[in-house]
Amino acid sequence: MMATNWKEALSARIPEDRAHDIDIFEGQLELRRQNKLDEKVFAETRLRWGIYGQRYDNGQRFDGKTTRSLAYPAGELTKGPSTLFDAPGMQRIKIPFGGLNPDQMDGLAELADEYSDGILHVTTRQDFQLHFIHIDDTPSLMRRLAAVGVTTQEACGNTVRNVTACPLAGICHDEPFDVTPYASAMAYFLLGHEDTQDFGRKFKTAFSGCEQHACGLTNIHDFGLLARVKEVDGKPKRGFTVFVGGGLGTIPHQAKVLSDFVPEEEILPIGQSISRVFARLGEKKNRNRARLKFLVDQLGIDEFRRLVYEEREKLPYDERWTNFLKTLPDYHETPVKPALSLNGSAKPDGFEAWAKTNVYPQRQHDYVAVYVNLPLGDITSRQMFALSDIVRKYSGDNVRTTVEQNLLLRWVSEADLPALYNDLKAIGLGEGGIGTIVDITSCPGTDTCKLGISSSRGLAGELREQLTAKLPTLPDAVKDLKIKISGCFNSCGQHHIADIGFFGNSRRSGNYMVPHFQVVLGGKWKENAGSYGLAVGAVPSKRVPDVLDVITNRYANERQDGESFQSWIARFGKKEIRALLEPYMQLPTYDENPTLYSDWGDSREFSIGDIGVGECAGEVVSLFSMEIAKAESKHFDALIALDDDHIAQADEGAYRAMILAARALVRTQFWNVSDDPNKVVEEFRSRFYDTKLFFDQYAGGKFAQYLFLRHENPPAEPTADGTRRLVEEARLFIEACYACEARVNGVIVA
Amino acid sequence: MIPLRVQVKFFVDNPNGLDLTVFSVIFQRWIQQNKLEGQMIDVADYLHVPDGPGIVFIGDQTDYAMEQTGRLGLLTTRKRQHSGVQDQLRDAFRLGLTACALLEAEPELKGKIKFRTDEAEIRFLDRLQLPNRPESLDLVQSNVQAVLSEVYGDAPASFERIGDEPRHVLTLAVRAPGAAPVAALVEQVKAKIG
Repeated sequence: MMATNWKEALSARIPEDRAHDIDIFEGQLELRRQNKLDEKVFAETRLRWGIYGQRYDNGQRFDGKTTRSLAYPAGELTKGPSTLFDAPGMQRIKIPFGGLNPDQMDGLAELADEYSDGILHVTTRQDFQLHFIHIDDTPSLMRRLAAVGVTTQEACGNTVRNVTACPLAGICHDEPFDVTPYASAMAYFLLGHEDTQDFGRKFKTAFSGCEQHACGLTNIHDFGLLARVKEVDGKPKRGFTVFVGGGLGTIPHQAKVLSDFVPEEEILPIGQSISRVFARLGEKKNRNRARLKFLVDQLGIDEFRRLVYEEREKLPYDERWTNFLKTLPDYHETPVKPALSLNGSAKPDGFEAWAKTNVYPQRQHDYVAVYVNLPLGDITSRQMFALSDIVRKYSGDNVRTTVEQNLLLRWVSEADLPALYNDLKAIGLGEGGIGTIVDITSCPGTDTCKLGISSSRGLAGELREQLTAKLPTLPDAVKDLKIKISGCFNSCGQHHIADIGFFGNSRRSGNYMVPHFQVVLGGKWKENAGSYGLAVGAVPSKRVPDVLDVITNRYANERQDGESFQSWIARFGKKEIRALLEPYMQLPTYDENPTLYSDWGDSREFSIGDIGVGECAGEVVSLFSMEIAKAESKHFDALIALDDDHIAQADEGAYRAMILAARALVRTQFWNVSDDPNKVVEEFRSRFYDTKLFFDQYAGGKFAQYLFLRHENPPAEPTADGTRRLVEEARLFIEACYACEARVNGVIVA
Repeated sequence: MIPLRVQVKFFVDNPNGLDLTVFSVIFQRWIQQNKLEGQMIDVADYLHVPDGPGIVFIGDQTDYAMEQTGRLGLLTTRKRQHSGVQDQLRDAFRLGLTACALLEAEPELKGKIKFRTDEAEIRFLDRLQLPNRPESLDLVQSNVQAVLSEVYGDAPASFERIGDEPRHVLTLAVRAPGAAPVAALVEQVKAKIG
């Protein structure tokens, strides 16, 4: 007798507790459908199951001419505040440390076919995402994943997100030991743990094997663990340097060292203790300051450390802390083929160039790991089925997703490389360029994200196409640069840690909005995301390829022998960089160049207000433009001062830039406001903050707090770290002023 | 049986030289013009993925894609329906043919695109009820035959299951050598099945 639903069909293949959890979720879904469960409660529930909202799920969409209402069969029924029940959403799927086997790949491909649009997307946290999913399909989807050992639990929401790890763990030449089993143990220990259920915000964990490479990017994580071996009582002892309080987001924070060495048997209880402190003391009401980085900043690392170790003392014993250690001696990955060298085997056309970038020789002799380059992190269901066959043939259960949105096939016998290359090429996955300038990382941006401002994927696709065409002629120094793009200031595309990063914003021109990208230069990917780049100016989206050319040409022509991009930026100076960008920052009118008024891959005009702007408002716009330009100029001075290590001057400059931006906004209502900072802040607060005019739909009043905090608490002695942050905050405050002015003066911000 | 999703694909005759980015522009315009039946939502561009779904026009109950997988064609996906195989397949044919006719008439494509009606592809995206096995064909055969008779009228239409890969979805190739052109078929379908 054939099963009539997936619950029945898969009952024997899903662990009982997992099946029970999914049944409960399905019950909650039904209650919400009947409007018997509060929408906010259901929203947090579905987020914890990885079910996220998607752009336009509030039932409104700007079609290029007007904002339209989207009508759905379930009408006004919601699945969360301002989120219509029937609107398509995104399903995030957790892949701890990125580890995948071919059966799981097949399972994922089936889901993309039946519930999504045939595309699987790899994220910057080694997850998969499916888009355009209806919530009714999610219980079946979860069951089908559970049947192949994959979960969506706690993939979103205020939870421990996917635990990431270096995809080269276990095969890398530099690591002291393989972090994979530790990452796995941490992921499943914290998953659903009662001490991780009451966070004010998400909590991101990563494992690295070494310091010098990008590895697991521990510096940008709430909880980072870097493998170390220390001699204890004359014997080598495994453990980890533990970092806390790192993060990108709107304002990036470098992680701080909680402990130089935590022995392996202590990492799970330390993770639990950190979780407890975060749950107990972390901000709960203001989500803009609720990440662990803010708590660490507020308490100071010494006090935070004291609290963690105090908590550690109180923890009741849990055998899981060390159970996983017993399995370590047996932990291994099994190749499908014996190790054989390539020797003089015939190599197909294109093989050498591909192998140069996409093949990593493992430390295990004659085995290699092969990167599969996924354009924008996307792979079709058909390709995934075919790839799983290739994986079975050459790699076995040894696939990893990467944070640069690609796949890695490990334990490939070197002798198989030509055949593997041919097989990958046959399914459209034989592109080289891994780790080069064409291997661009991008968040979903305006394609599907509710928060996206500009089209990060559109831009990434365009740059990828243009750069691929000229890759053979690019100088090596340029080929090796990294580009990362976010659709807004939230850094999901990790723009802060790229040589050249971009994040989406917008500018107003007359009655139109123009998609822009802020250019962020000099971030460091290596050394676990060793330093962050700084914003140097915003250019229209359509001009980014030209701007990229200008910057990379200049770098190629003027760099000294062996000079890194970061060093060149520091030597070249931000004034010069700004001068390079200036010609591209000027905006022609719509009539002069309408192409700038739409975004990449989207023919709609970026935004057209249907509210007419009268002469008076026109004058106001003009005044705002002039005033905000002063803030921009002051902010740029602060950047230069920061570069020159004039910390106090940079601090003052950033603060003054915010005052000028606030004043520009105030003057749209109160022309005669004085330039006394107290008066400006007072007027800004009463006119724009208390009235919530300044509030962003998603960020609320967060950016205004940057101004208020600095105005009310000027530092006695500004630190380099604090000032760097203030300069970034000032940038975001200015951006928010642009957005506010556009909203208030009747232009639709797309 | 209520299948999860049913797809019908009409292939483009001689697709060489066709600029696929134009479909994104057209679909965006169709949203402005309320051109298609049902609630259309957004346009997704996957042209960067080789042999992929191309440009996808996402709707609440129907998706359309200028799909590059295999041969270029307009793929119509009927989804979130509570009706049986025959109704869903009939809708997929009707909506798909209507969209083909509209595309052929768009100024950017006029004279540059022609959809073949002498062949089509049907896919059942439901691995639970209709796995890609010979016996699944038995479950849908009469429904498919009935719909093809309605769509193609007097022109003889046949179909067969293609592809044995068990992980793929049940797929049927339709042949209708004497089928009328798209515009005439649309009229025929409208007259017969409303």
